[in-house]
Amino acid sequence: MTHHRDYDLNAVTGAVESNAGVPHGRLLVEFAEAVLGEEEAALTRARAALSEAIGPPGLVDAAGVVGLFNAIDRVADATGIPLEAEKAAASADFRAALGVDRFDVGART
Amino acid sequence: MSGLYASSPIAIRDDLAKAHARAWERIGRPGTWWDGAARVAIAAETRHAASCRLCRLRREALAPGAIEGKHDSLGKLSEVVAEVIHHIRNDPGRLSERWCRGVIAGGLSEEQYVETVSVVAHVVAIDTMACGLGLDALPLPHPQAGVPSQHRPVAAKPGGAWVPWLEPTDLGDAEADLYPTGRPAANIMKAMSLVPDEVRGFFDLVSRQYMPPLAMRDFSREYRAISHSQIELLAARVSALNQCLY
Repeated sequence: MTHHRDYDLNAVTGAVESNAGVPHGRLLVEFAEAVLGEEEAALTRARAALSEAIGPPGLVDAAGVVGLFNAIDRVADATGIPLEAEKAAASADFRAALGVDRFDVGART
Repeated sequence: MSGLYASSPIAIRDDLAKAHARAWERIGRPGTWWDGAARVAIAAETRHAASCRLCRLRREALAPGAIEGKHDSLGKLSEVVAEVIHHIRNDPGRLSERWCRGVIAGGLSEEQYVETVSVVAHVVAIDTMACGLGLDALPLPHPQAGVPSQHRPVAAKPGGAWVPWLEPTDLGDAEADLYPTGRPAANIMKAMSLVPDEVRGFFDLVSRQYMPPLAMRDFSREYRAISHSQIELLAARVSALNQCLY
């Protein structure tokens, strides 16, 4: 179950290095950063560490999610879609706390 | 393992491998506004863009529009299409409505723009996963003969995006299957609805490479080898790296 747990969302922005309250969270974040980065050696290390921790099927699913969101972000930003009103209202406080509203496509010139 | 990943050193879920095979087959087929050759050329340019010198200079610049020049392109597509592919592939965090309007005024129809976005997204999704796993990029599909259908949904209209979209209440018979039942259609599903087949195709990939729509908020069980919270942490970190609020 995922409900009713505390998560440290600062790990999302890279502001802190932690598990974010998620099992193997730090390894997952390091893997995502390495896949989108340009250092082959860092990716090799991150891949091996994550596979050791969650196993090859978990690694495949993690790589799939990284790939899929690398694409979804492009669909969202190339079409200029806004957050849905209910999601925007529900996330206003932590978006402000994390400082991610600066990514809003509506504010880009 | 089947098909595309038969020789992979790491086992790829069969449903995921089949989704990639369907995506590749779709890219080679005539689309709605581009023929098969153009769609494969868009896919090839998406890969080629990764090494573009102009894009690298623009990414490093405070004002990317101030850096003039030509993209390192394969030359099979018009310059405006190459610009769309390169900008989406290489600097998505600085895409803007002004830029979008500019490329459409520069000779690309809104429908062609949406279909281009979709092909780029398919390639990015599949290639990024391969990169993560240390696999070679899949060979691109061979283009199939045929002409684009040029189907534009009559009810598409300006909404919350930079391009027209279909609201769930406006779906005609031809698009009745477009959005999931049991939950509201998210804006990401409406984003490419000007070209309905691209919504169908891309969300076939989403359902296998991420989760089916109704599984996303079903916390009573896990659907993958990693948990909902692990999936969402990955998704959120990727979006932050891409500077994507959505």
